[in-house]
Amino acid sequence: MSDTPTSAPAGRIVVDGLPIPYETGDTVAVAIMRSGGHPKHGGTVCLGGDCPNCSAIVDGVPYVRTCQTAATPGLMVRRHPAVGNPSFPAVAQPDITRTPVTDHVSVSRASADIVVIGSGPSGVAAATSASADGHSVMVLDAHDGNEVVAIYGGPTVIVRRPEGMLHVHALRVVVATGAAEIHPVCPGNNLRGIVTARAAEQLHAAGINLGNAVSIGNAPVGVPCTPITGIIVRFEGSGSVSAVVTVGDDDVEVTTPCTTAIVGLGLAPRDMLSRMSGGLPVGLVGQAAEKFALPPCPTAGTVCPCSRVEVEDLEGVWARGFHELELVKRASLCGTGTCQGGVCGPHLRAFVAHHSGAEPEMFTARPATRQITLAEASADTYTDVFRRSPLHDEHLALGGQLDRFGGWWRPWNYGNHEVEYWAVREAVSLGDVSTLGKLVVSGPDAVELLERLYPTTVADIKPGRSRYVLLLNERGHLIDDGMICRETDSRFVLTFTSGGAANAEMWVRDWAETWGLQVHILDRTMSLAAINVTGPLAATLLQRVGLVDPPKFLQHRHDTVAGVPCHVMRLSFTGEASFELHHAADRSVELWRALMEAGRDLGIKPHGLQALFGLRLEKGHVIVGMDSELDSTPRRLDMDWAVKMDKPDFLGKTALVRTASLPDHRRLFGFTMEGRAPTEGSPIWSDGNVVGHVASSFTSPLLGHAVMLGWLKHTPFPERVQIDGREASVAQPPFYDPKGRRARA
Amino acid sequence: MLALDTLHGIRVVASPSALDAASWPDNTTVLRLAPDDVFVIGATIEHAAVIATADADAIIVAESGFVGCWLHNDALAEVATHIEWHIPTHRPAFAQGYVAGVPAKLWLTDDRALLLCASPYAHDLSERLKGSA
Ligand code: FES
Repeated sequence: MSDTPTSAPAGRIVVDGLPIPYETGDTVAVAIMRSGGHPKHGGTVCLGGDCPNCSAIVDGVPYVRTCQTAATPGLMVRRHPAVGNPSFPAVAQPDITRTPVTDHVSVSRASADIVVIGSGPSGVAAATSASADGHSVMVLDAHDGNEVVAIYGGPTVIVRRPEGMLHVHALRVVVATGAAEIHPVCPGNNLRGIVTARAAEQLHAAGINLGNAVSIGNAPVGVPCTPITGIIVRFEGSGSVSAVVTVGDDDVEVTTPCTTAIVGLGLAPRDMLSRMSGGLPVGLVGQAAEKFALPPCPTAGTVCPCSRVEVEDLEGVWARGFHELELVKRASLCGTGTCQGGVCGPHLRAFVAHHSGAEPEMFTARPATRQITLAEASADTYTDVFRRSPLHDEHLALGGQLDRFGGWWRPWNYGNHEVEYWAVREAVSLGDVSTLGKLVVSGPDAVELLERLYPTTVADIKPGRSRYVLLLNERGHLIDDGMICRETDSRFVLTFTSGGAANAEMWVRDWAETWGLQVHILDRTMSLAAINVTGPLAATLLQRVGLVDPPKFLQHRHDTVAGVPCHVMRLSFTGEASFELHHAADRSVELWRALMEAGRDLGIKPHGLQALFGLRLEKGHVIVGMDSELDSTPRRLDMDWAVKMDKPDFLGKTALVRTASLPDHRRLFGFTMEGRAPTEGSPIWSDGNVVGHVASSFTSPLLGHAVMLGWLKHTPFPERVQIDGREASVAQPPFYDPKGRRARA
Repeated sequence: MLALDTLHGIRVVASPSALDAASWPDNTTVLRLAPDDVFVIGATIEHAAVIATADADAIIVAESGFVGCWLHNDALAEVATHIEWHIPTHRPAFAQGYVAGVPAKLWLTDDRALLLCASPYAHDLSERLKGSA
C-alpha cells in the first residue's frame, strides 16, 4: 500500500525511531499504512478496534490500538516485537513494588437514567426513544472520545477519555456497539497486506492506494479491486501477501496474485460489554444484538493472534478431552489475549460447534475490554483505611512505634518493650484497648440470644458481673472471644477482639434476626475508647483519680475516673490486676493524661502490643487468629473449661458432641525452652519429623527463658521436642502466677 | 483540609415505631442510620424520654463518636468527585457509603450537606479530601 500525496502532510509521528508523515484525520495505524508499513508487522487489519493487529507502544504505553489513536505531532510509536510481548518499561527504581506511581489520572463522575454506548443508527434510535420516554440519556461513543472500557455493578459504566476516567452511574445501559468483521483463519493469515472490507473502505477514503487489490466475500464499497469467488485456502507471500489461493465448488484451487487481499467474511456482534455485565440491566440493540452465522470451522492457521494459538493447538486440547468452549479457551489460551476473543471468538465457537455438534454461546467477558494502564485502573481508588484511636497522637508523642493490627493503628512499643513489661509486672501501666469490639444488647430476649450464642451459661451472670466467653460457629470452631458484662436483667455489654469485632457484630445481629428474637443491638466500638490500667499498683492509681472503691475481679460498674464517666471492667489479660476504662472517645486524651500524670511517681509507663503479647503469653491466654486456627475447637485449644456441655443448646454444640468421641491429632500446647524465644511460626520437631509449629513465643524477662504456645499435629504427642535446633519441653500454661492470685489481688 | 469536628448528640436504638413517633427539638439534626437506629445531633438523653417510655429496652446513650462538617455547593461538588455511588437527588436525603474509600455518611439538605464519619476514620477522610474545604 502506498500513498498518492495530494497535499502537504499535517505533521509527523515517530515510528520505531523514524519520522513518518501523516495527513489530517489520520489515525496512527493509517499513517503507518500510508507510509507502506504495517502497524504490527503482519496480520489482518480491521481498523475497527476489534483485533490486536495494530497495537503498539504509544508514548510509552503498550497495547494501544493505533487504529483508534489519532496521529498528533511528535507522537512516539514503537511497534510491538514481531514475536513475543513488549517488555516492561525500565524504571529507575528496580523494586517495582516500591516504584511510586507518578501518572495521576483524574476521575469524574456523572449519572443518567439511560446510558447508550455507541452512536450509530441503533444507538441514536435507542437514545431518542429513551428521551421521548422522559429519561435522562447519555450517549457514549469512542469516536467522540468516550471509550467505554467496562461495566461494573450498579451499573457503573467506566469510560476512558483523553482528560481522564469518567464513571457514569446509570439505571440502565444500552449497548449499541455494532458488529465486528470476521478475520480469516488459514495459513498465511499473519502476512502483511490483508485488510477487512471496512478497513479497505477507510484506507481508500484516506487516499491510500491499495495497489493490486482482490476481494473475497463481501466486497468493499467504492474500492477499486478485483472480486474473486470461492473459499480462502491460504495466503501466499513472504512477509507481504502476494497471492490468494481459493477453492470453489469444483474443489480446484485457484491462485490469484495481489498486493492487497480484502476480506469480507461476515460479522460477529460486538457484545463484549454485555457479556461482562451478567445480572445487570444491560441490553443489546442493533447489530450488537444480532445472531450472525458462524464462519466455517477453521482447519489451519493462526486462530488467536493475541496468544498465538494455532488451529492445531485447538485440536490438541480437544484430543485431550477439553470439550466445552470455556475449557478449550482455558486449555489453549485462545481468547485470553488482549482482544478478548474479538478475532478468535467466532472461529473458536465454530471449532467447538463442528466438533461437538452444538453451537456454544460466546464466553463471559471480563473488564476491561481494552488495555488500560494501571494508573487508569486504579484512578481514584484507595487503600484500606486503618482506624486511629483517639490516643493516636498521644502514642506518637510518647515515642510509640505504631503498626497496623486488626484494622487499627496500634502502638507496638514505645521504644523498649521490656521496660513496659516491668511496668506492668511491678508497677502500673496503661494500654490503649480502644480497638476492642463493644456491643450493647438489650431486650426481653437478650438472655435467650446470648445463651444460644455462647457456650457458657449466661443467665446466672448477675448484674454487675462479667464472664470470659468463647464465640463458636456452627462447626464448633472458635471465631472470637471476649467478655459478657451484665448491666441489668435485660441489658448486656459484649466485648470482642479488635480484629474480630466487625464479624462478631454481624454474627450477633444475623443470629438475632434469624431466630426472631426481640433485642436491640448497638455497636459502640468506634464511639467508645478504652484504656487498660494494669499492674499491682493499678488500684492505687485509680484511687488517686477518684475511683475510691475499684471493682473486684470480674465485676464492672459505671463510675467517674478523673472526672470522666467510665464503664469500669475488672478483668485481666496481662496476669496482673487490670481495669478497663471504657469511655466516650472525645474524653480519651483527657483521661489518658490524667492517669499518666497521677501515676508519675508510681513508675507508670504505657505498654504496647509487643509487651502485651508477652505478658498474656506468660499467662497462657490465647489470641484468636494468632494462636487459634480456622478449625480450632475448644478441645484443640485445651479450653474445654470454657464450654458448658450440659447447657441445653448453643451454637456449635451439635458439632462438639459429634466430634467429642473422635480421635483428634491436633492440640495447642505450652512449651518452655532455655534461651531466647524462637521466631513465631518455627517448626516443631520430634524424632527428625516436623510435628507442629510455634504460634506465639516470648522471651520472658521474669522467667529468664522462652515461653511459647504451639501446635502439635501428630499423636502420640511428644513431651520433648526440638525448636530452632534446641530442646524444648511441653509445659502446661500458665507459666506465671498459675493460681491467678495477682489478677485477683 | 476539611475540619471535621466532633458531633455531639444521642444515639437511640429502639423499635422503629417508637423512633417514628419521636419528636426532636428544632435545633437538632436527626439521622436515621437504620430503621431501629437514630443519631440525633444536638439532642440530650432527656430528649429521648418518650422513647424510653414507649420501649423500655431502648438503648439511649450519649454519642460523640462521629465527626463531621457542613459543606456548601462547591465543596460538596468536590467531595462528590470522590464518591462512586449514586448521590440522592431529592432533599432532604440521608446516604451512606464510601467517600474517598472511607466509610462515611451524607445528610443532604436544600442548601448544604453534612459529611460525617466515625471518629477513627477522621484523619484519613480529612487527608483524602484535602482541597475539598
Ligand atoms: S486494526 Fe486496529 S483493532 Fe484491528
